[in-house]
Amino acid sequence: MLDGIGAVARFGLAAVWLVSGFIKASDLNQTYIAVQAYDLLPAGAVSAVAGAVPFLELALGVLLLLGLGTRLTAVVSAVVLLAFIGAVAQAWARGLSIDCGCFGGGGQVSSGDTSYPQEIARDIGFLVLAGWLIVRPRTLFAMDGWLTTRNAPVEPVDTHGRT
Amino acid sequence: MGGAERNERKRRQAQLGSRGKPAVAKHKPADRKPVIIGVVVVVVLLGAVLGGVIYTSNKKNATEGANIAAKDTTELDNAATGAAGDDANYPVQRDAAAVLVGQKSAKVTLDLYEDFLCPVCHEFENNYGDALTQHVKDGSLRLRYHMLPLLNNSSDPPGYSMDSANAGLCAADAGKFPAFHLSLYDAQPAEGSRGWDKQQLAKLGQDLGITDASFKSCVESGKYDSIIQSVFDKTRTTAYLQQDINGQTGFGTPTVAKGHEVIDTSDPKWLDAVLANPS
Repeated sequence: MLDGIGAVARFGLAAVWLVSGFIKASDLNQTYIAVQAYDLLPAGAVSAVAGAVPFLELALGVLLLLGLGTRLTAVVSAVVLLAFIGAVAQAWARGLSIDCGCFGGGGQVSSGDTSYPQEIARDIGFLVLAGWLIVRPRTLFAMDGWLTTRNAPVEPVDTHGRT
Repeated sequence: MGGAERNERKRRQAQLGSRGKPAVAKHKPADRKPVIIGVVVVVVLLGAVLGGVIYTSNKKNATEGANIAAKDTTELDNAATGAAGDDANYPVQRDAAAVLVGQKSAKVTLDLYEDFLCPVCHEFENNYGDALTQHVKDGSLRLRYHMLPLLNNSSDPPGYSMDSANAGLCAADAGKFPAFHLSLYDAQPAEGSRGWDKQQLAKLGQDLGITDASFKSCVESGKYDSIIQSVFDKTRTTAYLQQDINGQTGFGTPTVAKGHEVIDTSDPKWLDAVLANPS
């Protein structure tokens, strides 16, 4: 039962990453504008972050879909989500008028069109999914499960390199 | 010790710790699958980050060294007057950080505030550029173009707005501003893309027939950058140029002004109205 809930969380978070990563990767110019609008980083770093984030999201999505290294992937997901929440929060606090560009789009918007509370709430929702998987990474239909159940060591191997 | 090895050891320790029963785990030294999985995850994520940065940079740099297609206003001349013509049939002169195009005797002078990277400016030029040029050619209209670096940070790397604005003034010095302006809007780079670099801007000028050797150095040295910047700083805070943009008051591009009055260009017949009412 709990494994089933875990699987829902895993597939849910995987879908979030795959969709948002795909949208960002399909319009890399727009992604640059979205990152630039946060007004946090020097130009070179904006370029690197805008190049990296879409593909990092896609990789997290694929790993979660497969259920490979679920706990570690969930930890990285949580770190990325916290960074997103921090970036949106500072934009809000500084009175910037931007769209978070979470699922494509992004950049400057008019002051009446910001939706920082909703954006942060949404990310916190995703963070809950990641949190579940960190606390309880065992889920149904996961490669982790298949790989570890057939774990029948024939002979002891010293993993520390001491023989 | 390599970073990967260190990470592996750290991860292993973390996993032993998180299992809560490190003593038991220690008795199963063959249980290295979680470590291998962890390494695979780290490698996949790092690969995605590095691969993403490299892929994005390669993709954006694909336009490096390409030529900007040279367009001139000759075609328009033919359509309008049935005669071959060129930019030289009306005066083009640089005036500080602006470019004056058209006869001094024209009854109406409009100030146009634009940015070569601004998509709405491109749209504006698509909609009204031909009509503006025709009225310049028939002597009824004079234009003062202010090419500004409003979106200077919106190219990757930043600077296309300024480089193109400066190159526009260099082209004006050589009398080729209208064709240069037309060509750059026809080949407008997307916001967030690489833009055209100074070499490409200089090459465009040459392709448009600018032979003056000082043009290239004007473009590449950013000769007018500082005056453009100071004019831009003044312009964006000029009271009569402030407009209501999606509920915010500010300066934006494109802006069209006659004297100290901003023209509302949302009405498609605005140009006819302005020309019919010179004062």
